[in-house]
Formats: sequence, structure tokens, C-alpha cells
Amino acid sequence: MGATFQPRPRQRQVLAYKGGRMGVAAVPGSGKTWTLSLLAAKLIAEGNLGDEQEVLVVTLVNSAVSNFAGRVARFVQERGLLPNVGYRVRTLHGLSHDIVRERPALAGLADDFQIIDERAAQEILQDAAQVWVRSHPYSLDAVLSADLDETRAEGVRRGRWQDYVTGLATSFIKQAKDLQLTPADLRYRLDQFPEELALLEMGYAIYADYQRALAYRGAVDFDDLIRLALQTLRLDPAFLARLRERWPYILEDEAQDSSRLQEEILKLLVGPEGNWVRVGDPNQAIYETFTTASPEYLRRFMKQPGVRARDLPNSGRSMQSVINLANYLIRWSNDAHPVPAIRSALATPYIRPTPRGDPQPNPSDAPENVHLTARGLSPQQEIEAVVRSLERWLPEHKDETVAVLVPRNDRGFEVANALKAKNIPCVELLRSTRSTREAAGALTHLCYYLAEPTSAKKLATVYRVWQRAAREDPVLEARVEDIAKRLRQIARVEDYLWPRADRDWLAEQNMENADPLLHDHLVEFRVLVQRWQGTTTLPIDQIILTLAQDLFTAPADLAIAHKLAVVLRQAANAHPEWRLPELTQELAVVAKNERKFLGFSDEDTGFDPDAHKGEVIISTIHKAKGLEWDKVYLLSVNDYDFPSALPQDSFISEAWFVRDHLNLEAEVLAQLKAFYENPDLFIYDEGTPTLRARHDYAAERLRLLYVGITRARKALTMTWNTGRRGTAQPAVPFIALQTWWEMEKENITSTD
Amino acid sequence: MELTDSQNAIIQSPFERKIFLEGSAGTGKTTAGVARMRHMLTSGVPADRLLVLTPQRTLAAPYDEALRHPDVAAGGLVNIATVGGLARRMVDLFWPLVIEEAGFGAQDERPTFLTLETAQYYMARIVSPLVEEQGYFDAINIDRNRLYSQILDNLNKAAVVGFPYTEIAERLRGAWVGESAQARVYDQAQDCAARFRRYCLEHNLLDFSLQVDVFFAHLWTEPLCRDYLLNSYTHLLVDNVEEDVPVAHDLVYSWLPHAESALVICDQDAGYRSFLGADPVSAAALRDLCDERVTFTGSFVTSPEMQAFGDTLSRILQPGAVSAPPVVQPPPNLTNVLRFESCRYHPDMLDWTADAIAALVHNDGVPPGEIVVLAPFLTDALRFSLTHRLEQRDVPARSHRPSRALREEPATQTLLTWAALGHPAWGVVPTRYDVAYALMQTIADLDLVRAHLLAEVLYRVKDKTPALAPFDGVNPDMQQRITYLFGGRYEALRIWLDAYRAAAPAPLDHFLARLFGEVLSQSGYGFHQDFDAARTAATLIESVQKFRWIAADLPAGKPLGQEYLEMVQRGVIAAQYLQPWQERDENAVLLAPAYTFLLGNQPVDVQFWLNVGGTGWWERLYQPLTHPYVLSRRWSKGQPWTDTEEVAARQLSLHRLVAGLVRRCRKTVYLGLSELGEQGYEQTGPLLKAIQRVLRAQS
Repeated sequence: MGATFQPRPRQRQVLAYKGGRMGVAAVPGSGKTWTLSLLAAKLIAEGNLGDEQEVLVVTLVNSAVSNFAGRVARFVQERGLLPNVGYRVRTLHGLSHDIVRERPALAGLADDFQIIDERAAQEILQDAAQVWVRSHPYSLDAVLSADLDETRAEGVRRGRWQDYVTGLATSFIKQAKDLQLTPADLRYRLDQFPEELALLEMGYAIYADYQRALAYRGAVDFDDLIRLALQTLRLDPAFLARLRERWPYILEDEAQDSSRLQEEILKLLVGPEGNWVRVGDPNQAIYETFTTASPEYLRRFMKQPGVRARDLPNSGRSMQSVINLANYLIRWSNDAHPVPAIRSALATPYIRPTPRGDPQPNPSDAPENVHLTARGLSPQQEIEAVVRSLERWLPEHKDETVAVLVPRNDRGFEVANALKAKNIPCVELLRSTRSTREAAGALTHLCYYLAEPTSAKKLATVYRVWQRAAREDPVLEARVEDIAKRLRQIARVEDYLWPRADRDWLAEQNMENADPLLHDHLVEFRVLVQRWQGTTTLPIDQIILTLAQDLFTAPADLAIAHKLAVVLRQAANAHPEWRLPELTQELAVVAKNERKFLGFSDEDTGFDPDAHKGEVIISTIHKAKGLEWDKVYLLSVNDYDFPSALPQDSFISEAWFVRDHLNLEAEVLAQLKAFYENPDLFIYDEGTPTLRARHDYAAERLRLLYVGITRARKALTMTWNTGRRGTAQPAVPFIALQTWWEMEKENITSTD
Repeated sequence: MELTDSQNAIIQSPFERKIFLEGSAGTGKTTAGVARMRHMLTSGVPADRLLVLTPQRTLAAPYDEALRHPDVAAGGLVNIATVGGLARRMVDLFWPLVIEEAGFGAQDERPTFLTLETAQYYMARIVSPLVEEQGYFDAINIDRNRLYSQILDNLNKAAVVGFPYTEIAERLRGAWVGESAQARVYDQAQDCAARFRRYCLEHNLLDFSLQVDVFFAHLWTEPLCRDYLLNSYTHLLVDNVEEDVPVAHDLVYSWLPHAESALVICDQDAGYRSFLGADPVSAAALRDLCDERVTFTGSFVTSPEMQAFGDTLSRILQPGAVSAPPVVQPPPNLTNVLRFESCRYHPDMLDWTADAIAALVHNDGVPPGEIVVLAPFLTDALRFSLTHRLEQRDVPARSHRPSRALREEPATQTLLTWAALGHPAWGVVPTRYDVAYALMQTIADLDLVRAHLLAEVLYRVKDKTPALAPFDGVNPDMQQRITYLFGGRYEALRIWLDAYRAAAPAPLDHFLARLFGEVLSQSGYGFHQDFDAARTAATLIESVQKFRWIAADLPAGKPLGQEYLEMVQRGVIAAQYLQPWQERDENAVLLAPAYTFLLGNQPVDVQFWLNVGGTGWWERLYQPLTHPYVLSRRWSKGQPWTDTEEVAARQLSLHRLVAGLVRRCRKTVYLGLSELGEQGYEQTGPLLKAIQRVLRAQS
């Protein structure tokens, strides 16, 4: 879209908003985020705000935050105002952090409370689950499949059980926090209940253990943050009143993924008379499984009295054939999905092209660029076919963008490897926040070495870290590896680093004449390492800052190092007995913490597909949300990755060793919910939650397919594979689309 | 400096007048106060009849300096004191009068006055078993040393505000609106305070709170002591009274009617020490007891433009202005007084700051001492990074405290590692790293690699007893790697330690002094040429010595040195020790927390405000065990402390802070802005917003 944005009629309806409550249902590519950004700018520019007031924009993921903030800033500046004033864009986590941070005392936290990230939380949880499994080896035997003989049952108890229980506990704790149930609340209710509920007892035990471990560290996890934000708002009405005053307008993007707590928090902040705009596309709700997120919140909101309901059905993103395909998917699921319960997974409005004369016209139609491959390929063949196709396509479309979209990360890695093997340039949108980890990783390697300065192996690693930029260039990289190898073989590192008259490794190499450049290079490295060694008696923060000055030049990396220095200093103060090895361990852990809030990585500053013309982007469909490419390959559209809740479908959440195909995760959450709603009635019927979970999952995967299709502008290729065992079938919606498309093509040809 | 008429009027007013002088910072009040003092002395008022009272010693610096001036007539000494200092002197002087009445246990012994550090030490001894064995304070998450200092803080608040320390928990509970578990925490804090007070009374230990309590309860009411004070000091000079505590005001209040003359100086719009109990409201009450009230206006420090900037900012920040903004007059041209640049990251902002300072010093000839860098609080990383950047640009810098705490000085670590090895009976076992670092520091020119090799092959721990093995026992290959030169130096150290171990142990300070004199300061050893390390050694020895004097009644059979070492490890002592040689290097850029700078009360040409977007400018440190506002005279018992009060308090202190800073800046304020703060969070705090409003009003 161009820099000057001319709203379409339907967008103008949204932009006419002055106050009150409004719900907007949008279609992919309809410019909903643009419209919402413009609305924010308009509210600021029209002088609706006092000096201390802000428009609060809440969105789903960090990358959206910076995108959104950037757009609002641009619109605001176009109106001659200062950017960064008058609005605040946050994820729910970010907003919760702001709220809790302002009055930590209300949540019972110290002002320097720590936030641990999912990974660190997962480690704690694994420990808690392990302790529980060890002390209760037989307590879940009742749910084991009767088909297992004793040997296999024992195998499960010793092996898979551990991970399985961790998974159950993760969902359990998330849900309990969502329902605002503390371990103490749960214990009380469990004690009142006449029967022993094995699954809930398990969940309780691990939950209690986990929270104790967090409290011991003075930490909260992301879910606590949200829970505590809500608690804080409820505890002090004066605080709530002040926040309402500060945020007179609340705009919510991606409202289809709103959760119960998000709705509660925003409802409180909006207040009975406040201004609230919720925009979303219920067809793109793809974050619902085992969360309380649901497109229902948005749908219900739009039906409430006093809420103005609007829609944004026009999209200039895709050519007509892609639009037709996406719209057919909606129609087919509404009318013909074999499982009636899933027929409401997708809903109208249908996507409409932009009206004539629109500044963003749809790309001209080219039905021949839509391919739905009917033939079943093995997973390997599927990738080979895509690589071959890209080899042909790329040279002819140097100015266009292309993405390969996969349902899961590991499939993406396989695609990336295949492309790299053919030297096809590609960018992976699979891993997260690389720069934080790389900077922290580099520092960690240096510290590992400083803790063991006699190790030639670690010295070689330090050398590779110092020369890490060479990784981009295969020739340089080989040279670095070669030098690293030589360093690794030094028997006595002191002879290199701290030579004495009769012992000088570098002098013995006779490089000075043979390869003077290499000689100087190694002298330079030696001077650096000497300086780094000199830092070891300093406090840890000063060590880190000194190393960082030598290691990094990018402002973002230096900023991360500075933060790490501050955080490690806190750790060192809390553990005066810690030395370099322990602090380095902590560095490795800390490095992963809090990344949700760091605006430090490339990913967090927003990904722009148009900056990668001539390269192949590999992404999961989830990560591709909000993005678009000229050509899209959609892989693995089989009944394993896109099940339809039919009897023959297999579900990832139903473990083979659990009896009756039960989805224990769904079962335990249903029990928890029944317990929360009314422990006396305890409405719970075994097996029903498993079935419902199948329906929910199938519905969500259907929407995921819809999201995948609607990423394409001018060309779309969909393929499927027969899976690892060779037994997978094309996904039911794929068959429907493929059949319909064949007929369409015939129609088009016959009309031609 | 030329004095104004109004200053001269104050200086020369008759010696029976009692004057209350008020005005903003920079209007020349203290200058008048100092000149009056000198005028009195030159006019024949005996020096020892004068009492200069300030809230803290640093605020008396102008009076100190004036008295050191060669043209001040020799004679008696002017008494310069704080209320705490006065209380302590009186308790010391009239000890026999209070010993029984105040309930001290050791009737035949003298009192021991505790410093903050030693009070913290006793608090740690009393509280840590309760935490470890009885689960005290498990409902909150707090660093142990902050826990101790907050309990002490509660006692001090009770003393300086003047309510019984037994009411602490009740007052805090009455104001609490958050999680209910907090009530138990307050009771535990109360219990700890009571135990501490009992222990102090039993052992004649007087922390600050007990000194103040005893003085006011038993000495100021006792005619012998009271008459002594009233008759000794007949002329009162009380400066920065707004920063003093209520009991100080009570004291002056009852003293004034008996004094011959008095000059009470009060800063308007200040009260920066309110977190320490300062009470500008009770200070103002002293006005009524004076014969005359004078107000100074017109700044000697700031330019009209700076004044206008300050006024505009003040109007925006004044409490009550949050929802109904006052009409902001656009200030005159701000380009002379305000400079800023917006950076994305925190280190960018530090680079910008260092560059700007270097340009001021090297290009514009601004003396480094005329530049301060201020932030709401300075993390160690921030201080280190900025000092380092300034060093690189050849600009001298100093900090409000040394760049490292005494316990963090490598030299301290080294000395304490050898102390542990010299006293195996303590059961303190240094890690191999500690030994390697100590060797690196101790043996001149020894590198980290060889230090590690030495520690790896020669440092042994058997049955929890650490020891160094002889160098001869190492295989020749390793000896060569380490080199015989270093081996020889190592041996001398080892033999010295062995010899020491064979004899009866000496007090720790004696051990350190001997080790330093006989080994470390010798040629071939690390302290020989390193004067900083030598100074650290001297400071450490002094700290141990002081600890030895106060630390009576150690836990059963525990050697003093071991106790000292453990307390250093836990951060209870040697954490904040000021090294005297680092205290003042006047012509260097000062890096300090904003409040520290304000209380130094020295105007400068240029101020840098860092992290202007940070919420730290607005937030107060949250102290879960205490509360500066609730534990004050301005708070009625039982009234809840809600968000409304919190915001009003924050807004008021930000307003005071900013006004105070501007009034102490002669030329330019530089604003360091980084979108993301030190920890990577986005920064849009109230100070930033207020400044944006000033800018918007101007544009």
C-alpha cells in the first residue's frame, strides 16, 4: 500500500468512529491494521486527548506492536505532530507488565521482580513434573491403555510419561491461572470434594511446586503477569480510575484471538461508559488450542446491544482466483463439511475485490498460476518438487516475493536444508529472536573460556566467536575454522598467550615471514584475550561490559550486553558465593529471559517480505499471519497436519498409550473447568472433552489453511505428502478445494 | 562576591534578633547565613556560643569552609552539628544520667555507638535465624540486606518522627490496601525491631534511633542536660531546616525562646529527604517563633531563560495539574538552555552523553567540575560504562561513591582469601577461582593462565581444610610451565602462610597488616607498585579494626575474623565503605543520582539528565517493610494509602526534584533520551511527557 492512504467506503465507515463501542469483522488483506492505525492517529490529531492521555492499542504479538507503532507514528507525523506521544501499543503481556510495574506492591511483588520466559518456566516445570512422576509412578495407571503388556507399560512409565505429564501440567497451570485459581484455592476445593480426582491431584501437586519455585526466585511467569494485572486492577479502584483516565480510547487489533482474561482486563479498563473498538477476522483465529482464546468473544461482542457492527470485506491483496478459492473454502465448510459441528469454523463475510478505481487494485487474474497437486508424494519428494519449481521460478521473477509455508517448524527446517543444499538463498522465519541469543551466546562462550583459561579448546571457540562475522562467507569461514583448529591443538596455551623468552608458540610457528597477515592477526587476538583475562577479578557486570565493547559494534547487541550486565549483577548480589562458572550458567539462562519484552531483534522490529525479493522465505503458517507474497507454496496439506475430526484421523494430542484414545489434556482441563464452575455439580463426562477437542482442533486447522491460502497475491501452489509412515491422505478440505478447482478450470477453459 | 541589600540586612541585623529566612534555592540564603556567622565572629561573639545545625553534615560544607578561611579570628570553635550528632554527644556526655532510666543492661560499662554498617551487622545477627528457621518474611521477595536496612529504617522513622517504635506495624497495616498476606509481614518486621531494641539495651549498643530516642526522652527533659545546651549555645544558625526531621524541629522550637539570636533558613519547594523523614511542614512552624520573616527572591544561579524553563516545567508537574492542565505560557527561546537528542538504545545515549561532555570540556573550555550527569538511580553498569567512556575521551570523572564497594575490590578479595588460608580453623574454604585470582593479584606479572595452573596443582582442600602445597612437589614439566620465577614467589608466600599457621592466630587486622608489610608490598609482589591496591589494603585493615572494637559478644566460640569474613561475603559490611581519597576530586565530572546531587547543594554550569523517559524519575523505591509517607506526622493512623495518594506523592516529589535541579543549573540542561531503557523496556515516563509539553508549548 502506498504512503498516502485513501480509505475505501467501508473503511470510511470505521474511520467515522467518534466514541462508544464498535466491532469490526475484516477479511485477509482488507487493511484492517492500516485502518485501525489511521483511526488511532485521527483520534490523536483531532484533539480528543488531554496531555496525559493516550490511545491504547492492544495487539497480539510483538512484531505487530512495532509495525503498528510505526504506522501510527507515520500517520501522526503526517499531521504535523510529535511521534511517540499520545498512544501506546502493547501486547496483552506488555500491557500487563505496564500495569503491574506501576504498582508492584498491589500484586505482592518487590519493585525488582523478575519475569521468566517460557523456556525457563518450562525447565522449572519439568523438574516439578519429574519429582511428581518419580514419587507417583503408578498413580495414573488407570488411564493407561489396556492393550499394553507390563513391559511396555513399564516402558511408558519410565520413558514417555515424563514428557507427557509435563505437557499436561503446562496446560493445567495455564488454565488454572486463567481461571484465577491459586494452588491454595485448588487445594481447598479438592479437600471438599468427596472423591479422589487423580488427574486434578496431579495437576495441583505440580502447580503448587512450580509456584513455590517461582516465588523462591522472586519471579513471575507470563501468565502470572496477566493474572496479577487483573488482580491489581481489582484491588485499588483509584488506580483503575487513573488508568481509565489515561486511556480514554482502547483499540484492539486481532480481537479474534482475544482470551477471557484479555477481555476482562480491557473491559475493566474501558469501564461502563468507555470507548472500545475491537477489530478482527474470526476466520483467522489460529491461537485457540488449549487456551481460552476464542473468536467467540469478538462474535458475541459484535452482537451486544450498543455495539456498532461493521465489516471490511474488500481486499486488494490477491488475484480473483485466490479469492475464489478462499471463499469456496468458507462456503464448503459451512455447507458440506462432513462433521456438522465444524461447519461454523469459518464464517462470512466473503472476500470481495477492491472496487473499481481503488488505489490498491487486485493483481490481474491468472488462474494458471494456481496449482493444487492431487498426486500424493512422499515427504522427501514433496520438498524436491518445491525446490525444482523454485529453481525454475526464481530466475524469472527476480522482483517478486515468494514464501514456502509449512504447518510445523521441523518441516520448515527440512525445506531450508534442501534449499541451502542447492544454494538457493533463503530466509527462515522459524526461530525467534536470533540477535538476543547470539549476543548472549557470544558472551557466554567468552565467559566459559575465562572460567577455564588453560583450555585450548575453549580458546579456539572464543576465536570463532570473535570471527563470527566470517560465517556469512564460506571462504572466510573455512579459514577461520583452520585457524581455530590450530589454536585447539596448542598444548600449552600460556606459550601463545603469555609467551616467555624461551617459550613462544607464535614465534615457533615461523609465520612472521611465511604469512605476516596471519601473524599480525594472531597477535591482535592475543592482545584481546590478554585484556579479557585481565577482567576476571572485576565484578561480573564490568566483565560483561568490557567484553561487549570489544565484541560488538551493533547498537542492539551493545544494548543487550548492557542489560545482561545489569541482570547478572543482580544475580551476583543475590548469590555472593557464585564465581564465573555459576554466573556463566546464569548468563545462558538469563539470555533467554524476558525476550518477549525486548525490542532488540530483527523479528521484533517487524518483518517486511518486500525487502527479500529474490530470496525464499520459509515460515510456519502461524508466523506468516499478516504477511503476503507474490507466490506462496503451501506444503503438507494432509490429514495428519489438517485433520477433520473424522474417525480415521489421528490426533497429535491423543497418545497411543492412553486408553480409549482419550485426550488427557482436554480431559484434565475439562475437569478443572467443571471444578471451577461448580464443584458440587461437577459436570464432567469422560470422553466428551476429547471429542470436543477434536472438533476444536479440526476447526482451527481449517482456519489455518484459510490463512495459508490468503497469503498469496498472484500464485499459489498447494501440495500434500503421505507422511512418515506413508499412510497419510490429502486433507478433506484439500480434496474439496482440488475437486472444485478442477471444475472451475474446465469452466474457465470452456468459456475461453 | 557582592552582597545584596537584603543579604546585608540579614547579616547586620542585631545580635538579639531571631529571623526566619526563606526563598528558593539559589537566592543567596546560605551565603547570607555564612556571612552573618563571620560577621558575628568578627564582632566579638565568642565562637563556642554559636551552634550551626544542618540536617546532614554535607549541607554544612559552606560553613566549614568559611571557618577554615585564614581571616577567621582564632579562638573558640563554632559548633557545627546535626541533631543526631548532638544527641550522640549528649548521650556520651550524660551517660550516667540515662543508663538506668533508659533501661540499659550493662550498668558499669560505657555505651557503644553503632554506625549504619555495624547496626546492620547486629540486625543481621538477630534477624537471619528468624528468616532461616522460622520462615519470617517468606511472603515477600527481598534481598536480605534490604530487609535489614528497612527494619532499621522503621526504627529511625519512629525516632525522628517521634512516635513509639512499638506502633510501626499498626501504622503500616492501617494504610495497606493490597494483598492481605502483607499484614503478617508488618508484624514480623515489628517483632524484629523489638528484638533488636532489646538486644541493644542489654548490651549498651546505641544505633541512631536509640541515640535520638534516649536524648529526647531522657536528656532534653532533664534540666542538667537541657540547661547545659541552652547556656552553651545562645546563638542558633539553622540551615536547610526543610530537610530536617520533625524532632529536630521540636528541638529548635523549644530552644528558640531561650536563644539570644537565631537565623533559621528554609528552602521553599524542597524537602528532598522526605524518604528519610524530612518534614517541610513542621519546619515552617518555626516561623511563628521568630521576630522577623524575610523572603529572598531572584536567583544568583540561573539565567532568566533557565528560570522560565523551570517555571514552565513546574507548572506542568504541579500536583492537581494532571487532569486539568494549566495554560502553559510558551517559555522564551529554549535553545540556549535545553539540548537533547533521541536515541533508540541506552548505550547510544551514553555515547551521545560522553561525546557532548568531551566537546564541552575540550572545545568549549567548560571545567569538568562544572558538569554533572544525573539519573534517578545509577546502576553499577551505568556508572562503569559512562566512566569508561569518559576516560576514553580524556575527561576526568568522579562518582558519588567509589566505582566498586570495598568488598568488590580485587585487592580486598585477595587479602581475604589469604586470611582464610591463614586461618584454617575458620572452616572458610575459598574456591579454586578465588585462589587463582588471589595469586594473580599477589604475584607480580603472573598471568591468569599460570595462576590457574598454580591453583589447579597446588591448592588442596582436605577435610575442609584449605592449604597450599610446596612448589617442589610439582612435576618438572608443570614447574616449567609455571616458570621457576613465579614458583619462587609462590613459595615465599606459602612459607609465610605456613609459618603464620604454626603460631597462635593474631587478630585479623594484625594478620592483614603483617601479610601486607612482610610479603605483598615487597618487590616481586603485586602490591609493591600498585598504590590503589595498597590504599584498599589500608582501608580494609581499618574496617576490620573498627569491627573488632564494636563486635562484642560474638556467637559462641566464633573467631572475630571469621565473622568478619562471613559478613563481607553476605554483603552486610564493607559494601558501602567510602575510601577517603576518592571522595573529592573537585575538577571532575560528577556522576550521581539526582537526589544526591541536590543534597550536595552545589550549583553547576551544565547538567545532563539521563533516561529522561524512564519511570524512575517518578517512581519511588518500593520498600515492602516500610513507608516514608505513612510513617510521618502528615499521615493519620488508619487512613488507607491508595493510588490517589501514591500519585500525588510521586507528582509532588518529581516537581520538587526538577525545580531543585533547574535552580542549581547555571547554563544548560542536556537531556539524554533513549527509546528503550537500560533493561530494554520502552520509556515514556511522566518527565518525558512534561518536557514534551514544554516543547510543544514553544513550537
